[in-house]
Amino acid sequence: MTERTRVTLWRVAILVALLGAWEWLTGIKAISRTPGLYWIDPFFISRPSAIARRFVYLMSGEVRLSLWQMALSTVESTLWGFAVGVSTGFVAGLVLGRHDRLARVFEPYIVAFNSLPRIALVPLVTMIFGFGLLAKVVLAWTIVFFIVFFNTFQGARAVDADLVHSARFLGAGERQILWTVIVPSALAWTFAALTPSISFALIGVVVGELLGGESGGGLGYLITQSLGTLNAADMMVALVSLGLIGIVMALGIKQIERRLLRWRPEYRTERA
Amino acid sequence: MDRVCFEVLEGEFVAIVGPSGCGKSTVLNMIGGLVTPSAGAVLVDGTPVKDAAPPRVGYVFQKDTVFPWRTVARNIALGLEYRGVGGAERTRRVREAVTLAGLEGFEDAFPATLSGGMRQRVALMRTLVVDPEILLMDEPFGALDTHTKLTLHAELLSLWEARRQTVIFVTHDLSEAITLADRIVVMTRRPGRVKMVHEVKLTRPRDVIALRESDEYAREYGRIWHVLGEEFAASGARS
Repeated sequence: MTERTRVTLWRVAILVALLGAWEWLTGIKAISRTPGLYWIDPFFISRPSAIARRFVYLMSGEVRLSLWQMALSTVESTLWGFAVGVSTGFVAGLVLGRHDRLARVFEPYIVAFNSLPRIALVPLVTMIFGFGLLAKVVLAWTIVFFIVFFNTFQGARAVDADLVHSARFLGAGERQILWTVIVPSALAWTFAALTPSISFALIGVVVGELLGGESGGGLGYLITQSLGTLNAADMMVALVSLGLIGIVMALGIKQIERRLLRWRPEYRTERA
Repeated sequence: MDRVCFEVLEGEFVAIVGPSGCGKSTVLNMIGGLVTPSAGAVLVDGTPVKDAAPPRVGYVFQKDTVFPWRTVARNIALGLEYRGVGGAERTRRVREAVTLAGLEGFEDAFPATLSGGMRQRVALMRTLVVDPEILLMDEPFGALDTHTKLTLHAELLSLWEARRQTVIFVTHDLSEAITLADRIVVMTRRPGRVKMVHEVKLTRPRDVIALRESDEYAREYGRIWHVLGEEFAASGARS
């Protein structure tokens, strides 16, 4: 048995044990045959079997807003927030990273805004942008922008002066130096911020959805709705779906990052 | 640095040697226009160096300045790209350079996969592909092992003998200077001055290996070392 399969087997074993214990423990009555008295009450944490049933039901066409539609809404807003946050953060990081005075002027504003807990912005953003897609994208943007900004800013400052000199000796003008030396150097730093960025974009979106109501849609709405109806199974369905979405998106970005940074020695050895 | 004055003729290979910290790299940077002298001037064909810099002067740095995110071929193509040389012409010149440097098969490799010697070859070809009239080299082989160094000396000499650019080569390795140069500018320890300018009377083309065993080489080495050794000893004793 290779190390890899052994690890996989252990992982599966732990998952099965956890689900089994959950299912079993939430099934034992404290006093036999008395309804409603459990050692561990499935009312609060539901049971794997019940969650699976709700999962299938919510996917079906019998509900007004299917799980698919909600997941799609969450993913769509996350990707928009990610895209807008990464591009604006990159441009801002590049500009401030290359202009010292501008960076000094803006520093207190950036630090102040970044210190603000983003969740405190939810009501204001909702007031301005309403309950739909736009508000969620804006919330994701407020987080992603800063992650990408700070990384790119560092990258733009860390550009090797000797690379700039050698480009100049090869006949590069200022614009060519920007595109062939500064942007690629800074991008290497930006790419390193992509994986955390997609996770934080998802956080921003879900926070928006928690308050957004039905028009905002998304899995965050399923969570608040389940709270309203005290339905732990639906809540678990939403959480599991969010977890899966998070993993898939992070893995996707990781792949893109690996492709874009394939010139780096650490990615080369990983592939080999 | 103090009153450094010397002349380099067109098509000449000049080496600058001296103890570390004497300012030999600074001299090169002044020639390249990276550093402005506090007094005095660097003239190329009678005009200030600033005006002559990029199109005519090529610079090979001691540090690895190959762009890590570009493949070998795209690194070599840089100078042509900057000058707007495109299409078939660019492909042809890059392929020529790759062949000259013995880098066939590595065109699409990223620098991280290459040895230090190969990376420095890329840096050299990247500079030579745009045909500079003046080539400035700042200890380009300083970080390489002896064997790789000798190979690159031979390659550099054969490339130079074909094109005869004006070369100014900074090094602290006296044997390297003798192997390569027509004339050697010996600098003093800090504050750096020109101690002497020595003419190397070795015939060309030179065989970098056989050369080392010849009596002429030993004589040249002895003569310069006699002068340079004082400087090394003095700068070593102080630091």
